[in-house]
Amino acid sequence: MNIVAVTACPTGIAHTYMAAEQLEKTARKLGHNIKVETQGAMGIENELSAKEIREAAGAILAADIAVQGRERFDSLKVVEVSVAEAIKHPETVLNRLEK
Amino acid sequence: MTGIPFAFPLANGLHARPAGLLQETCQRFDAVVVFRNQRNRACADAGSVLELVATSTVAGDPCLLEVSGRQEEEAVQALRSFLRLELPRADDAQPPAAGVEAGSDWLPPLFNDGASLLLHGRALAPGTGRGRAARLQLSPNLPARFAAGRKDARLEQRLFREALEKARLETRRQAEQAGNAVGAGILKAQLAILCDPHFWQRIDALIADKKLPAGTAIQKTAAAFADVLRRSPSVYLRERAADLDDIAALLGVHLYGRGEPAAAQMPRRPFVGVAASLSPAALLAFDRRFLRGLVLGEVGFTAHVAILARSLAVPTVSLPPASLAGIAAGGELIVDGRRGLVVAGPGAALKRYYRLEQEGAERRQRLQSRSLLRRAKTLDGSRIEVAANVGSIAELEPAWRGGAEAVGLFRSEMLFLDRETPPGEDEQYAVYRQAALSAKGRPVIVRTLDVGGDKHLPYLRLPAEENPFLGCRGVRFYGEQQELIRCQLRAILRAARHGRLKIMVPMVTTVAEVALARRLLAAAAGELRLRKIPHARRIELGIMVETPAAALAIGAFAGISDFFSVGSNDLLQYVLAVDRGNARLAGLYDPLHPAFLSLLRTTAARARKAGRWIGLCGEMAGRPDLLPLLVGMGFDEFSMAAARIAAARQRIGELDSGACRDLLRRALRCADAGQVAAQLSEFNHGRAATGVVSAGLVRLGSASRTPAEAIRELCELLELDNRVDDAAALEEAVWKREQTVATDLGFGFALPHGKSATVRAASVAFLRPAHAIRWTVKGGSRVRGVLLIAVPVDAADEHLKIIARLSRQLMHEEFRAGLLSAADPGAVLALLASAVAGPPVSRT
Repeated sequence: MNIVAVTACPTGIAHTYMAAEQLEKTARKLGHNIKVETQGAMGIENELSAKEIREAAGAILAADIAVQGRERFDSLKVVEVSVAEAIKHPETVLNRLEK
Repeated sequence: MTGIPFAFPLANGLHARPAGLLQETCQRFDAVVVFRNQRNRACADAGSVLELVATSTVAGDPCLLEVSGRQEEEAVQALRSFLRLELPRADDAQPPAAGVEAGSDWLPPLFNDGASLLLHGRALAPGTGRGRAARLQLSPNLPARFAAGRKDARLEQRLFREALEKARLETRRQAEQAGNAVGAGILKAQLAILCDPHFWQRIDALIADKKLPAGTAIQKTAAAFADVLRRSPSVYLRERAADLDDIAALLGVHLYGRGEPAAAQMPRRPFVGVAASLSPAALLAFDRRFLRGLVLGEVGFTAHVAILARSLAVPTVSLPPASLAGIAAGGELIVDGRRGLVVAGPGAALKRYYRLEQEGAERRQRLQSRSLLRRAKTLDGSRIEVAANVGSIAELEPAWRGGAEAVGLFRSEMLFLDRETPPGEDEQYAVYRQAALSAKGRPVIVRTLDVGGDKHLPYLRLPAEENPFLGCRGVRFYGEQQELIRCQLRAILRAARHGRLKIMVPMVTTVAEVALARRLLAAAAGELRLRKIPHARRIELGIMVETPAAALAIGAFAGISDFFSVGSNDLLQYVLAVDRGNARLAGLYDPLHPAFLSLLRTTAARARKAGRWIGLCGEMAGRPDLLPLLVGMGFDEFSMAAARIAAARQRIGELDSGACRDLLRRALRCADAGQVAAQLSEFNHGRAATGVVSAGLVRLGSASRTPAEAIRELCELLELDNRVDDAAALEEAVWKREQTVATDLGFGFALPHGKSATVRAASVAFLRPAHAIRWTVKGGSRVRGVLLIAVPVDAADEHLKIIARLSRQLMHEEFRAGLLSAADPGAVLALLASAVAGPPVSRT
């Protein structure tokens, strides 16, 4: 399935990217298509397009701060977790979308 | 009557030390000297230290000395010399009180261990020390005994005079034996007060006229002068009031017997001295072998005892009276002179934290002093001397401390400026001798008088010129002023017996000018021989290469010069025909012009071919970004402002001379300065992109057992590697982040990180503890690798990208396993470097 995700942590220099990597790696292993937008110290990177969000089956927001553009995901099934959760248990987080 | 106007030069104002020196100078002559502060209209007898101090004179005040009396002329001469030479150096080494206090109250979480009692105060002297509390009862109940006087005024007067004489003798002896320049200076200032007629005559009068007991008269007088000081606008002068208390106590001791414990009574094991107040003399007098720190009452940062504690490196904290009273004698104390904290009854974890901190500080100090002592070398081992440009004696010590290996340019003209007659041979000799002695065997290149151009000497009566920068500058007027120059050369020759002085002649265009300088030098030596004055038989004479003519014909000068030093500031303006002071042409005055670089390279190459040493002493040398080009040219030495030395040494150590030569070749093919700048920036930038990790940032088998210890150790590594100015500030930033969410990832790795203005360059440091660390109290994993990321507030995106890449890599099992199993720091470094250099691991 197609998944979109956003990661964001307070300083935005490390955990944002670790969570992104973890979600991308695990999603591929589970056979999903995923695109992860990072909201870190370099600003928003790998920004999700409206089309990508529209075509996704669900969204994962792994953040310890407020996600910018949260309303973009209002029409989707959203799983919200802490960044640490996405880093430590990415598979559990991804599986929660399927339920 | 003669008036000498001047602006008051010292940052800390007119305090007891400079006032004491002025008093001493005035007392040498039969003359009346009145000091007037024209800002606040205060006026004083310049022969009285206390009246002088009471004028509340602060830096920059317009002042006037009025001299009259029988020896007016001699006094005026001595005072002029005092104002020029002595006064500017009479301040404390420390900056004024503002802005020196420790900034933050933040403490790492392990301080709240429930066992240790934390007493917050003010840091007076840095460092930490641990020992048993020992109360210093140095002047027991003196005030009570002061009033218990006899009633016979003549007996009281005699007792006071005797006590005064004993106090002066003792202070003078202590000052001579202090073995510490700061301590000696403080004691001399106290001696000046004891010798101030306004002080002792007033006490005398109170005893004679008011029939007061000697002790009361002393206290009243000291209190009256202290009151004047307490009203001063300067914090520094207000804190001087304590000096008068010290002096009153000292006189009291000599009147009524001493209360200070003898050395034998001091504890014979490590102790922390606790006292509401302490006189500098007492601190100097007692046995400090087991003294590990001081806890004082309300004492100011610039109080003399605080200045002295800093100079003796005794960690010192001042506490409010209530906290001070609560300290139990014999209990264990840690004095933390960085955080302004006293820990009473420290728990085991805190003791260990402080011990490791202490070891870290010692290690850091050893490494830093070793690296500053080490001779500067490029990465591939080419030796390059890094030297300082100085204009006065006062700049020498900071230069040596800052890592200067020599003085590449001592601007002697500073001695000649702002005065009405030239300095005599003895006056110059004293200065050059001091320079030679302070160098302790390192070379000092003295540039002979370089005036003309923008520097004027009224007493030389040089005619005004249409175009002074192309006029009679430097060596060009030596022919007309032979005696002036011979006098300078005699002074240098005499001083050269005390160290490695060399002579450098400025503004040379022809070989004949150098020959003239050599003749003057020979004549100077002959005069000294005739007068039987000891002087150096042999001295090197070189030239400053600052005209295109000298640079292009350098081979011709090699026969008559022992060495060369390029004065790049002037050479550049003569090569480009651009006045370097003309703001409208600032864009044209660019050292990256290929023509200029080409001239520098040719000059250096020809000098070396002729077997001559060649340095460069212009502003270019102090710019780390330009150093790759200059290193490519093959100079032997770079001489710069002292403050630039550390950065230049570090940059030189990172450069490969072959790569620098390649860069220079590319630069010389460029059409203009803009293209050179682009080449240079690419070269410098390449280093920045891979520079987030380095060998000094990896520690394996660390003894750290807790997150606090590991984070502190990593912050120290970063400071040691010059990536962070203050490890403590980074530690604080990292902990603040850590306390929002612990950065333990759950894979045996923790990734603490922080963003702070103290970070100079984005960096990653790695630590592998000998024993796994439990990162959080519950739920945390056992951490076997700690990666600390430090980012400056205005980090460049390119660095952030590198760190993002590294963070992503950490999510891969192989990478983590590699870091945990790598055999040595080199292998870890290679892993980290490949992780940050490679493309992003994962693509979508």
